[in-house]
Amino acid sequence: MLRSIFLDALKNLSGNALRSGLTMLGVIIGVAAVITMIAIVEGGQAWLVHSLERMGTNLLFVWKKRLTVEERHLFAGRNTELRYDDTLAIQQRFPDLLVAPIIELDGQLKAGERDYSGRITGTSPEYSEIRNFRPDSGRFISSTDIREWNRSLILGHTISEVLFGSQPAIGEEVKIADQRFTVIGVMEPKGEIYGHNYDEMVIIPISTALRFFKGTDKIQSMIIHVPNRQHMDEISGALHQFLVQRHEGVDDIRIRNQGEFLSAVDQTLLTFRIVLGGIAVIALLVGGIGIMNIMLVTVTERTREIGLRKAIGAKRQDILLQFLIESTTISVIGGCLGILVGILAAYGIGDLVAKAMPGGGDWGAVVQPTAILIAFGFAVGVGVGFGLFPAMKASKLDPAEALRYQ
Amino acid sequence: MLIQLKHIDKIYKAGQVDVPALIDINLQVERGEFVAIIGQSGSGKTTLLDIVGCLSRPTSGEYWLDGDHVNSLPDASLTGIRNRKIGFIFQTFHLLARKTALENVQLPLMYAGVSRKAQQDKARELLTRVGLQDRLLHYSNQLSGGQQQRVAIARALANSPPLLLADEPTGNLDSQSGKDILALFEQLHHQGQTIVMITHDPLIAERAERRITLSDGRIVADEPAYQAAPVLG
Repeated sequence: MLRSIFLDALKNLSGNALRSGLTMLGVIIGVAAVITMIAIVEGGQAWLVHSLERMGTNLLFVWKKRLTVEERHLFAGRNTELRYDDTLAIQQRFPDLLVAPIIELDGQLKAGERDYSGRITGTSPEYSEIRNFRPDSGRFISSTDIREWNRSLILGHTISEVLFGSQPAIGEEVKIADQRFTVIGVMEPKGEIYGHNYDEMVIIPISTALRFFKGTDKIQSMIIHVPNRQHMDEISGALHQFLVQRHEGVDDIRIRNQGEFLSAVDQTLLTFRIVLGGIAVIALLVGGIGIMNIMLVTVTERTREIGLRKAIGAKRQDILLQFLIESTTISVIGGCLGILVGILAAYGIGDLVAKAMPGGGDWGAVVQPTAILIAFGFAVGVGVGFGLFPAMKASKLDPAEALRYQ
Repeated sequence: MLIQLKHIDKIYKAGQVDVPALIDINLQVERGEFVAIIGQSGSGKTTLLDIVGCLSRPTSGEYWLDGDHVNSLPDASLTGIRNRKIGFIFQTFHLLARKTALENVQLPLMYAGVSRKAQQDKARELLTRVGLQDRLLHYSNQLSGGQQQRVAIARALANSPPLLLADEPTGNLDSQSGKDILALFEQLHHQGQTIVMITHDPLIAERAERRITLSDGRIVADEPAYQAAPVLG
C-alpha cells in the first residue's frame, strides 16, 4: 500500500514535471542557502583559528603611543621612548613571559651578483617561539648573537630563493649597507597572515641592528607571549603600569590584547551567522509556502479523483498520506538537489573569498555533515509541515460532493 | 434482504430555507434483484443513490445494508462498507487518468489491504471477464468509452460486493456501447449479482426486472419493469 502510494506520488509529480520542478526550486534554494551559509561561516571560523595559531597565540602587542605636540612639550626631558632596556626589564620583572623587541629598518641585501631591497627586522631569540615561526635549516638568533652583536642573518623562505636560488644559503655572506653578515638560518615557509608576509622577512639580532644601523636603543614595538590565556587582561594591566613607571609617569604606551581582536572577529562572525541564517530560513519558508500553494492547487484539481478514491474505499488517512507523501517527496528530492547545489556554491564562494581576501589564500568553505543533516531535516520538515494543511483539506472532502465536482 | 430503507428523509439547507430532496422513502431490495430507479432530473434519484451508496447520510430514517445498520455507523466504517459491499459505476466512468486499466481495477483491492500480487491476479481475472484481456496495460485515454465503462465495471466487482450501484451507466456512451454494457449487466444479473441502476431513460429501465419511479423526492411507483414499459412515440 505505502509502496503504491509512493509510486503514485512519483507518477503525479513527473506528470507535472515543470510544476514540480518549479515547486522544488524553492526548497532547493532554501536548502542550498542553509548549507552555503553554514559552510562559509564555518570556513571563516576555521580560517581565523588557523591563522591565529600560525601567528602565535596569547599575544600582547606593545607600542609607543604617539604624543601630541603639547604632551611632547610638557614631558620634555623625561624618558618617553620605548627602549630595548624596557624589554630586558620586563623579562626580569615577569620571568614567565616571553618578550621580543622589534625594530624594523629598510635596507639592501647583496649576495654576489644578486640583491634584494626590503625590510629588515631586528629582534631577539624569543621571537621564533612567540610567533611559532621556526628555521627550516640552520638556526635562529641565539643569546650569544645578541650579546656579541654578531652579524648573523636569518632569511625568509622567499628571500633565500631570491638571493641564492636553490643553493643552500647557510654560511653564505650577505652585505647589508657595508656590513658583512653571515646567513645562519633559513625560515620555514609560512605565507602571509594579516598582510604580513613571513616568507619575505630578513631577521638580524636586535643588538646588532641597534648598534650598526640605529646608534640608539629605541625600539618600535614588543610582542609578548602570556603562558595562560586567563591572565591576559591582568598581565596587560600590570605591564602597562610597569612601563609607565619606567617612563617617569608618562603614559605613552599602548598594549593591544590579541583576545580583544579575537572577540571582535567572533562578534562579526556571529552577526554574519544571524543575518545569513535568517535569510536561509526565510528562503526555506518561502519554499515551503510554494509547496503548500501547489499542493492546494493539486488538491482542487484532483477533487474528483479524491471523491472516487473515497467512494471505492480510501480511508481519510489513506488520502492524507497520499498528499503528504507527495509534498514530502517534493521536499526530499528538492532537499537532495539543494544539498548538491549548496556544496558546490559553498566551495565556489569559498574560492572567490580566498582570492578576494588579502591573506585568504588558504580560506575555504567547510561543509560539515551536521549542516547537511540540519538542512535536509529542515527541508523534510517544511514538506511535511506545509503539506499537512492541503492534505488535511483533501482528506476531509465529502465524497459525494467531490465526485461531482466540476 | 440486502437493502432496507425505512422512512428516509433528506433535507438540504439552502441558506435559511430547507429543501427536501427525499421524503419518507421506504424501499426493500432482495438479493439478486435488478432494480432500476427512474425519475426526472431533480426527482431525488442522485440523492437516493448517495444514501444507498453510503456516500451521504439521511437526515432521518433507518438504513440497513446487508445486515449493517448504516446510519448508526461512524464515517470510518462507512468507508469499509463502500469498499467491500458496494461496487460503484458512474456515468463519467471516473477512471484515474494516469493509471492503466489493471491499476484502476487494483485500487479497491489495494484499499482492502490485499497483497500486490493478489491484486494483480484478481484485476487481470476481472478484466478478462469483461472482455478486456488484451487491454490490461492501456491507459484510460487509450480506451473507447465502452471499454472505459467495462474497466469501471471490473473495478466495481473487485471486492465481490453484494451490491452493484450504477448511476446512468450508459449516459456517456453511443447506443451500441450502451447496449453492450446493459448486456453485461444482464449477464451479471443472471450470475446472481444484485444491481441497482439509476437512469432517466425509460428504455434502459426496461432492461431491469423492477422499476421504481421517483418524483419530487417521493416514490410514486414500484412495479415490475416489463409490465410497465412505455411506448415511446
